[in-house]
Amino acid sequence: MSQRVDQSLVREVEKFGKGSWNECFHCGNCTAICPLTEEGFLFPRKSYRAMQMGLKQTLASGLEPWLCYYCGDCSTSCPRDANPGETMMILRRYLTSVYDWTGLSKKFYTSHWWEFIFVLILAVIMVILFGFINPNPVDYTLTAEGSVRINAMFPIKWVELGDWAMAILVASLLISNILRMWYKTVIQDKSVKVSLFSYIREFYLLVVHFITQKRFSKCEDKNYWLSHWFLMTGYSIMFAVIVVWLPWFQTEKVYLWYEPQRLLGYYATFGLLFGLIVAGVGRIRKKGVKFRFSHISDWLFIVMLFLTTVTGILVHIFRINGMVEATYISYIVHMAVLVPMVIVEVPFSKWSHLAYRPFAVYFANLKKSGQPVKASVQS
Amino acid sequence: MAGDKTTGIIFYHPDAAFYQSDAYAAIRDYAAGLPGVRSVIDGLEVDLSCLDTLASVIKKHDPARVVIAGVMPGLIKSAVARVLSETGKDPGNIRLVDWSVLHGLNGQWLELTKAMLASAVAGMMPEECLIPSRHPVHPDTLVIGGGIAGIQASLEVADAGRNVILVEKSGTIGGHMAMFDKTFPTLDCAACILTPKMVEVGQHSMIDLLTCTEVEAVTGVPGDYTVSLLKRARRVNLATCIGCGTCAEKCPRTAPSEFDALTTHRKAIYIPFPQAVPNKYLIDPAHCTYVENGKCGVCVKVCPVPDCINLDEKDQRTEIKVGNIIVATGFQVFDAARVPQYGYGKFPNVLTSLEFERLVNAAGPTGGNITFRSQDKKGNWIFKGDSDTPSRVGIIHCVGSRDENHHPYCSKVCCMYSLKLAHLVKEKLPQASVYEYFIDMRAFGKGYEEFYERIKEEGVHIIRGRTAKVEERNGKLMMRSEDILNDRLIEQEVDMVILAVGLEPREDAAALAASLGISRSNDGWFAETNRCLEPSTTFTGGISIAGVCQGPKDIPDTVAQASAAAARVLQSLVSGEIAGSIKAVGLQTVEDQIKNK
Repeated sequence: MSQRVDQSLVREVEKFGKGSWNECFHCGNCTAICPLTEEGFLFPRKSYRAMQMGLKQTLASGLEPWLCYYCGDCSTSCPRDANPGETMMILRRYLTSVYDWTGLSKKFYTSHWWEFIFVLILAVIMVILFGFINPNPVDYTLTAEGSVRINAMFPIKWVELGDWAMAILVASLLISNILRMWYKTVIQDKSVKVSLFSYIREFYLLVVHFITQKRFSKCEDKNYWLSHWFLMTGYSIMFAVIVVWLPWFQTEKVYLWYEPQRLLGYYATFGLLFGLIVAGVGRIRKKGVKFRFSHISDWLFIVMLFLTTVTGILVHIFRINGMVEATYISYIVHMAVLVPMVIVEVPFSKWSHLAYRPFAVYFANLKKSGQPVKASVQS
Repeated sequence: MAGDKTTGIIFYHPDAAFYQSDAYAAIRDYAAGLPGVRSVIDGLEVDLSCLDTLASVIKKHDPARVVIAGVMPGLIKSAVARVLSETGKDPGNIRLVDWSVLHGLNGQWLELTKAMLASAVAGMMPEECLIPSRHPVHPDTLVIGGGIAGIQASLEVADAGRNVILVEKSGTIGGHMAMFDKTFPTLDCAACILTPKMVEVGQHSMIDLLTCTEVEAVTGVPGDYTVSLLKRARRVNLATCIGCGTCAEKCPRTAPSEFDALTTHRKAIYIPFPQAVPNKYLIDPAHCTYVENGKCGVCVKVCPVPDCINLDEKDQRTEIKVGNIIVATGFQVFDAARVPQYGYGKFPNVLTSLEFERLVNAAGPTGGNITFRSQDKKGNWIFKGDSDTPSRVGIIHCVGSRDENHHPYCSKVCCMYSLKLAHLVKEKLPQASVYEYFIDMRAFGKGYEEFYERIKEEGVHIIRGRTAKVEERNGKLMMRSEDILNDRLIEQEVDMVILAVGLEPREDAAALAASLGISRSNDGWFAETNRCLEPSTTFTGGISIAGVCQGPKDIPDTVAQASAAAARVLQSLVSGEIAGSIKAVGLQTVEDQIKNK
């Protein structure tokens, strides 16, 4: 299969992060030291090569960047200081923009003004919506338990409706992008024919990988797998609870500590804070290879998720202590951070990897099951 | 040319931080004030990855002739020439000033750079105005280092009938070459071609061989150097020792043998190897019981020659006068333990190439049988020749070389010696498989490519891809690499791994350079005055360099360079006059030269 060489590819990918594009002399050390690389999906070197050579099609149809969890072994041992691990990170950003049909992902990644202003506009809309247009008056009466009547000012059915609207918007964007990813990586790859049965058989692995992130645990540094896992599970639980089960979660009743609403809330908060602090402190101190380089999108994600978590905690504390104004204000701020974060990050930016990663593993497994296994190495 | 300002100077330096330095500011100011200079363009103004900007900047300044100064200025010469021709100027009117060779000259660096700039702006070659003073020359020559380079240089000078003092740090001459089994590409036995030269040095009436001796300090001027030598106590009388070996037989102490790359043990009183020159015993004070606590002296008792061994001998200092000095101190091999992923020091059957040279040598610890390391009674891993032979051997290229974490440069010899080692495995163990992992195969010399082809035909598996790590799996060594040309990942089980370690400057190179007043290039090798045309002279008059101490090279190149260094020495001895130090030529002198012409 021949393809056109795109000489501007390096310049284009460069907009997604500062890489060392010319350093690599293709010794293959990075591939050989990688604990995750495997036959048929050799990386990082081959992705690096495709980028250097301007093979846009090869790059767009490759799943390899998603199969990398950036342990940094490749960058540490690279004889050319070419930072292959960071290159994979940059390629993940690039691929996110390739899958995104709206073009917003590319705008957000390559211009932080676009991202900031978009976030700001959404935040202002939220403040206006909840603080000014909202017809419900501030309710100063407390419940029998002495907590704030949060659902009086923000009626749960309206909030839930908004929640679902946001969820459907984000999910349809993300799903359409995943379909594009599937089309580019699986359908367009003519060398593989995947049977329907494979799609069903491999599906459980998609779930397994999403929940356990067990590929990540193959990397040498297990601590980071743990903090990432806490962050992921904390986020997922919180997301499920506030989108799917909001009426069950956001009530005026103050639950006892052992009741599931509170346990789940506490676990999710702990998971988020733990993961965010490890990532944030790591990035500030540039600790280890994987935190050496931070793109603006990495920081925006950490800061927004951190603010969301902190304002969420404040709402909880103010509410159960009957502090009416504080509760309402922190709730509005919470919404003004949470909604832009979800709308910008999940389909268009860093958070999208929560879907692309497990789906990449799924698609890779499909491709592996679809082609004859290569002869093993001679001895 | 003075009067009309037509010259543009472009500074070109790979490290942008240089443009912030005081030195650069001084050079720039000096250049701007030179007669005929129209404008100065520094590298920061020019994005060298985009030659369009270079062109527009040059066009803006519109010089009729250009001087490009900096590190490897030739890289942009063609681009500048194109711009000159586009603007209707003579594209041939470009001069280059490369100051990279001046690195390490400290104070003199700035003066020399200015002098080279001034000469280029005046349209003269540096040699035309950097004219060193002439001095009378002392007839004796000092050669530092007794490896193949020092041997060759000494013989060249001595055979011309001039006195040579050859100083060697260890107990014998021969250097690394004596340790090798074969030489590439001819597969000559290294000892067979080297030992005749060693013997010639030992017997030459014009060569004064001083072993166990180090150079401590050098003073004086070119042509008349006073060198302080530290003669370490050999504790065996060179004149009376008959080399019978009775002493070593009875000596109770052992120590790792340097000659066998520490893979076997020798006694504390020993002869480095049977063909050593001088073929006399010596005592290793670090392992001698008598030197430690005064209680032993067995060797003295058993020695058949009266008063031959003097255990109380002390180190001595002497001074000699010489006119010329040839530095031929060679190299040390890269310490493979610095690359932990290859498991050297952890797995006994991961060897360095030098250890394997000894193992495969017919005069080596196993008599040339390729066997595994085994443990002696004290638990040391040594070669005894009593264990099995490997059936699969892996060779890893570029250990410590071409690696930004260690040495970025190519050590030049490893590809060829690795091919040679692969051949030696095949020769001794025809049934064994050999897997050789390389990054790029550099078979650059006469007959080398043919040698590479021959080794491939012998059935050695030569695989493109750097081995990332060596691990132990089921008692075997497992090498993990990417087979780049076949697009697959290889986990190769082998019994033995040979690490092709690179060459690096000796630990004492910095101290020696300081005492000799010579400079070193960025990577630590002694600097020559011109990469292309003056490979064996230094900026210090009367001091020449030869062999690997100037930069990695193989034996043929080393021998050639040693002869070249000797030619320089003989030039001064025959004419009776020696050129002084280029670095000592003052800027004022250069400017005067330019004015006069």
